[in-house]
Amino acid sequence: MIKVLFTGLTRNRKALIGMIIIAFIVVVALAAPLLTEYNPASRVGRPHQPPSADHWLGTTRIGQDVFSRLIHGAQTSLAVGFGAGLLITVLGTALGIIAGYRGGKTDEVISFFTNMVLVVPNLPLLLVLASFIGQASPLVIAIILGFTSWAWGARVTRAETLSIKHKDFIKSAEMMGEPRWRIMMFEIFPNLISIVGINFIGSVIFAIITEATLEFLGLGDPKTVSWGMMLYNAQKASALSVGAWWDILTPCFALALLGIGLSLLNFAVDEIANPRLRSGNRLNRWTALIRSGDGRL
Amino acid sequence: MAFLIRRFGFYLAAFIAAATINFFLPRLMPGDPIQIMFSSAGAELSPENLDALKLTFGFVDGPLWQQYLTYLQSIFTGDLGRSIKYFPLPVTSVLGNALIWTVGLMGTATIVSFTLGTFLGVLAAWRRGSVFDIVVSVGAIFATSVPAVVTSLIVLFFFGFTLGWFPTGYAADPSLDPSFSLTYIGSLLYHGILPMLTLCTVLTGGFAVTMRNNMINLLGEDYIVMGRAKGLSDSRVMLWYAARNALLPTVSSLAIAIGTVLGGSLVTEVVFNYPGLGNILYQAILARDYPVIQGQLLIMTVAMLIANFIVDVSYVLLDPRLRGTS
Repeated sequence: MIKVLFTGLTRNRKALIGMIIIAFIVVVALAAPLLTEYNPASRVGRPHQPPSADHWLGTTRIGQDVFSRLIHGAQTSLAVGFGAGLLITVLGTALGIIAGYRGGKTDEVISFFTNMVLVVPNLPLLLVLASFIGQASPLVIAIILGFTSWAWGARVTRAETLSIKHKDFIKSAEMMGEPRWRIMMFEIFPNLISIVGINFIGSVIFAIITEATLEFLGLGDPKTVSWGMMLYNAQKASALSVGAWWDILTPCFALALLGIGLSLLNFAVDEIANPRLRSGNRLNRWTALIRSGDGRL
Repeated sequence: MAFLIRRFGFYLAAFIAAATINFFLPRLMPGDPIQIMFSSAGAELSPENLDALKLTFGFVDGPLWQQYLTYLQSIFTGDLGRSIKYFPLPVTSVLGNALIWTVGLMGTATIVSFTLGTFLGVLAAWRRGSVFDIVVSVGAIFATSVPAVVTSLIVLFFFGFTLGWFPTGYAADPSLDPSFSLTYIGSLLYHGILPMLTLCTVLTGGFAVTMRNNMINLLGEDYIVMGRAKGLSDSRVMLWYAARNALLPTVSSLAIAIGTVLGGSLVTEVVFNYPGLGNILYQAILARDYPVIQGQLLIMTVAMLIANFIVDVSYVLLDPRLRGTS
């Protein structure tokens, strides 16, 4: 299954474009200190200078170099995205497999909590949590995202687990006396790998978008160098009304590019997993839910 | 009916869960929560006012469970405390005034994008692999993978500032008095176009993809082949045989999408300086007005639960199997 997924990904054009975009952003983020001489946090020029040879993407309201902030900020967005994405996926997958395989009371309890988390609106809840934390650093944002956003994944994984738990290979593993954790880890999990992959990429996109949104709304730590804080500062400095488009469009473009790159990859994983859907479709968080479950809350 | 009653009980539990989070969060802060909440907001309050506020937050003398019950009681009687920033206005009236704008914006955007997205999805699935399908599918990826903040800012920059076609703030011309006159309604629509455009861009793609996928999964079914074999027209099979059944799961995706709509709407209002909940909330966050921030969670949760309940009811209406069990 993993091998099929891998060879499929390398042959799929959408996956290839998506991976090139993501690889490009990762390389730029890692090489950030080599690509610019400016410190992203300090004042290095006059305020709101348009792009020039000195400052490739201009300067901010307080004279920071936008290009330097952009490529250093990429590190933050990627770290929060992949960190929180991993946490969301691990929690969701584990809970989903346990609920689906164990059934009975365990399933009832987990499903009840999953459904409850799904009907409490996510962003308003995060706003409350983040405002009590005060100035939330990217690490804190990643952690609260991880612990509040696993429900989608849990539900999809549970539904998939239910659909394979009565297959012969599971039965034979049970007959041979394999312990339950081993069946869940080594018999069920590998067969859910495409669902887990889609969940992971979807969660990364969600985490990146949400981190930027929380910071844009003023809940981030002002010392953070990230795309969300760039948007927040630019908006606070009324960058658009004073004509400093470079200040605000730069992080916009970066977020859009990363989002599109990840979505293309997600799209491709879905096509490989569901050949029926070829020629364009994207399995996002809720279509995944609808297709694999009965579609109701 | 039993189904709806069970759902209602579940929603009640979900609401109490949200209220419980609100109750415990201030108590997890080190020190005296009320003092911290107020000093970080930089507000000066008289001792009597402080006592009144403590009461609505359940900080009464007595064990924790008693405080909890006091808090739940004030929530269920519609008392969400008073705003710090707009003291002494109660949170319910601060948020209530703004809610009208948000509901108007969100409601219209949801209806428009759901209708448009569903139609695009049906047509794309029907002509799978055609240029139209590719344009819709690829367009949907781009539109749904870009954060609402980014879409709002780009729309504002392009149509608001660069081209200057539309206003860049407010829900209507501030020099006009609210009335049912044509000028005022015209001004409302004119100011609402950009936020609507943004929200529809963010939402339509998701609905289109959901509908397309549901349709494709149904097109191989026997009753579709049967419809064709009977010699029915293409459009009849497409709309009355396939789309009608594919709509069912799409409706439930609507309930789930409400969360996205809420989030998108909050951000869009901030960018377009639209006087809805999002904007009030943004001001509250900047001023660390905790009662308002907590109040919005409860109001949003209720909005989400109502939306879910409407979807449940329409599910019962759309799906005869559910009606049969009652």
